[in-house]
Amino acid sequence: MFKDLDPILHSQLRLAVMSLLIGVKEAEFTFIKEKTGSTAGNLSVQITKLKEAGYVEVIKQFKDNYPQTICKITPEGIEAFETYVKALQTYLPK
Amino acid sequence: MAEKPLTEQESLLIIQQMINRAKNNFVDSGIGPMLWGSVITICSAVQAAKIYFDFEMRFDIWWLALFALVPQVFISIKERNERKAKGWDDDIMSYVWTCFGIGVFVVNFINNRLSAEMAPALEAYRAAGNAVQSSWSFASCYLLLVFGFPTIITGAARKQRWMLAGGIFCWVSAIVAAFTPTYVDFVLMAFAAALSWLIPGIMIRKKYVAQKGAHV
Repeated sequence: MFKDLDPILHSQLRLAVMSLLIGVKEAEFTFIKEKTGSTAGNLSVQITKLKEAGYVEVIKQFKDNYPQTICKITPEGIEAFETYVKALQTYLPK
Repeated sequence: MAEKPLTEQESLLIIQQMINRAKNNFVDSGIGPMLWGSVITICSAVQAAKIYFDFEMRFDIWWLALFALVPQVFISIKERNERKAKGWDDDIMSYVWTCFGIGVFVVNFINNRLSAEMAPALEAYRAAGNAVQSSWSFASCYLLLVFGFPTIITGAARKQRWMLAGGIFCWVSAIVAAFTPTYVDFVLMAFAAALSWLIPGIMIRKKYVAQKGAHV
C-alpha cells in the first residue's frame, strides 16, 4: 500500500536541506547554500517553510561582527524525515 | 537547485547525494595528528637514545610536547572558525582527546610521586647489587595504554584504519613494555606515536588536500 508523502519534504530543495541537516548536528546557512547549490533567496524561503513546519530550528547570531545563521534539525524534523523515507520505500519496486 | 515535481527515485537520489556531501565535509585537516605524532616520536626517540647511549642534555626533551600545545591551540581555533557545520560526534571527540591529555598528565604526576617515594628504597636495593628498573619503565606501559584509548576510538569513529591499527599497536606495546628495558619502552613509544598519529595524520592530510583541490 502506498503511503502519502509529506508535502513539506517532497520538494527538491527542502528535501536536500533536510538530508544535509540529518547528517550534521548544526550547519551554517552558507554551508547549506554551498552544498545544495541554491540561491540565497530561494534557500531562505525554503528554510522558513521548514522552520514553520517545526522541522528545523534557525538561530541567528553574530560571529566576529558578522551575522551568522545556524540551522539544525529538530526531533520533529528527524521523525518527519524518517517517516518520509519509510513512505518512499513503499513506492520503490521490491 | 530549481523547484520541480519530484519522482520517488529522484527523492532517494537527493537524499543519498546530500548525506554524502555532508559526510565528505568532515574530513579532518590532519595537522593535529601530524604535529603530535612527530613531537611524541621525536621526544620518545631522543629519550631512548639518551638512556641507551647514556648522555645528558641541557634541557628535558619532553618540554617540546609542552611547547607543542601553543600551535595546537592556534590550529584548533583556526579549524573551529573555518568549520561551517558541526558533526554529531565533534563534541564527543573533543571530550575523548581532553580526557587523553588529562590522562597523560595524571600518569606522569603519579609516576613522579612514586619515583620520589620509592627512590631511597630503590637506591638501597641497587646498592645491595640488585638490578631493578626505574619506575619509568612501568609508567611507559600506562602511557602506551592511555595513548591507545583515544586513538582506537577516533580510528573507529572516523573510519581511519591506520589509526585503529596504531591504537592496537599501543596496547600490544603496553604489554611488551612491561618486560623490556626502559630504552626499548621509549623506542616502542616512538613507533606507537608514528603509527598512531604521524602516519595516519599524513594520510588524512593527503585526503584533505585532494578534497579541497576538488572543491576549487
